[in-house]
Amino acid sequence: MQTDFDLFQAILDFVQNLDPEVYDAAFSYAAAMVLLVGLIALSRWQKIGITEKLIIGTARGTIQIILMALILLEIFALENLVLIFGLLIFMALFAAHTSRSNLDDIPGVFRAGAPAILVGGLTVMVISVLLGVVKPVGEYIIPMGGMVIGNAMGINSLVMERMWSNAQKQRSLMETALALGATPLQATNMTIRESIRSGLLPNLNRYASLGIVSIPGLMSGMIIGGTPVLAAALYQVIIFVMIFLACIVSGLIASRIFLQEMFNERAQITVPPPEA
Amino acid sequence: MSSGPILEMKGVSMSYGQRTLFKDFTLDLHRNEIIGISGESGSGKSTLLRIAVDLVTPTEGEIVFQGKDVKDWNPQELRKCIILVPQEASMFPGTVRDNLLWGLKIHDQDASDEELEAIMEEVNLSGEYLDRVAENLSGGEKQRIAIARALLLEPCGLLLDEPTSALDEKSTLAVEKTVKGLLESRDIGVLVVTHNREQAERFTDRVIEVTTGEEVYYNAD
Ligand SMILES: Nc1ncnc2c1ncn2[C@@H]1O[C@H](COP(=O)(O)OP(=O)(O)O)[C@@H](O)[C@H]1O
Ligand SMILES: [Mg+2]
Repeated sequence: MQTDFDLFQAILDFVQNLDPEVYDAAFSYAAAMVLLVGLIALSRWQKIGITEKLIIGTARGTIQIILMALILLEIFALENLVLIFGLLIFMALFAAHTSRSNLDDIPGVFRAGAPAILVGGLTVMVISVLLGVVKPVGEYIIPMGGMVIGNAMGINSLVMERMWSNAQKQRSLMETALALGATPLQATNMTIRESIRSGLLPNLNRYASLGIVSIPGLMSGMIIGGTPVLAAALYQVIIFVMIFLACIVSGLIASRIFLQEMFNERAQITVPPPEA
Repeated sequence: MSSGPILEMKGVSMSYGQRTLFKDFTLDLHRNEIIGISGESGSGKSTLLRIAVDLVTPTEGEIVFQGKDVKDWNPQELRKCIILVPQEASMFPGTVRDNLLWGLKIHDQDASDEELEAIMEEVNLSGEYLDRVAENLSGGEKQRIAIARALLLEPCGLLLDEPTSALDEKSTLAVEKTVKGLLESRDIGVLVVTHNREQAERFTDRVIEVTTGEEVYYNAD
């Protein structure tokens, strides 16, 4: 009983000591649930089929980001590179896990995604730190690494989803390629390139309209955090270059590994036909 | 070159799960021979052709290509020597020229426009087609381009999966003429899947039923 009371008291103290702005934000959050309801209604009505992911994603995302917020200041202050990169590795693995659960009817997504995101995301971060592009403190590495990893995750999901669904929907074309003596890579290369390209497209749009249509999060965040506006602007360009590089590297790696889920060593298609 | 068969299928059986498509299927394909494969829709004709080029492994049986078990072939080399043309005559994006060169490129080969025009002539299409977008052509034209695309690799066996099923009578006859012409000029062996008995008798040497493995037609001349 005693411990329960203490916990309760601790929570009460915590809530009472919160910044008034947090109450405002909590109110905004509650109000935004109206948007979410609208979003769910729209997704159901148009049968987009993401209702469940939206609901679970909102709940899980809220918890994850609040937990993150509670330790964010400590993480940003980190200067121990081993710890920082350990955290990035955790983020990359979590990203791979996320794409697996979002593509739950496709096998091998984690097996291909984890090494791809790790190698694609982390090498870009390591090189950037070594080149002095990114300052070696948590405040820079973690949010930039998060963006790099997040975008690599997006590309990987897209590449694997397209490869798999093309093996079903355009099976005849793939079979035609194999029947002419193409290797699995040759038979899927067009799909891989197209999906990397279309995965980069949203970011290429943002890149092209940088400063005019898009005022991206990293820059805004840095300015709010006290970075001079011009410095934040340059960092914004840097992060885009890092994202593109990480996306392409990890998309290429994921596709190569994922081929092993789609073909066997005799270069036979192992993806089941659509109905089966 | 020995005069033995280029392709031997020995006691081949195939099942998907509980369902048996065919059992103990046996066939020898020689050069300068055209064999028809008949059977109802869903009986396993396409599967049989895939098995022949090792795109599918049968549940039982042995496939020997030019005296060597297909499992001992490098799959890419095997499929360059005996080419399956799937039923849909799928075209890669781009022009007819792009399509013809596609197969060559993956084997690090190339061809001049003269060579492409010669191959087009062989499938009874004019060289003017080379710059047309392949996807926009008619079914009969696509079929012949798919055949030309395969021929550029100079295979000794060609497996055609219902090459005329989607075609009108005029295109059907054009494709048949093309294939017959190949036998004489190129000394290759052809397996052709058809569910049209009349057609089979018109242009094959013999016809084998896929499910029973029986010879259902034999052309004496
Ligand atoms: N990869 C596969 N997995 C499971 N069943 C298949 C597969 N490919 C073909 N089948 C089944 O095998 C049967 C024969 O198919 P197919 O060889 O295409 O027949 P046909 O060409 O004679 O119409 C069909 O019932 C088809 O659904
Ligand atoms: Mg078929």
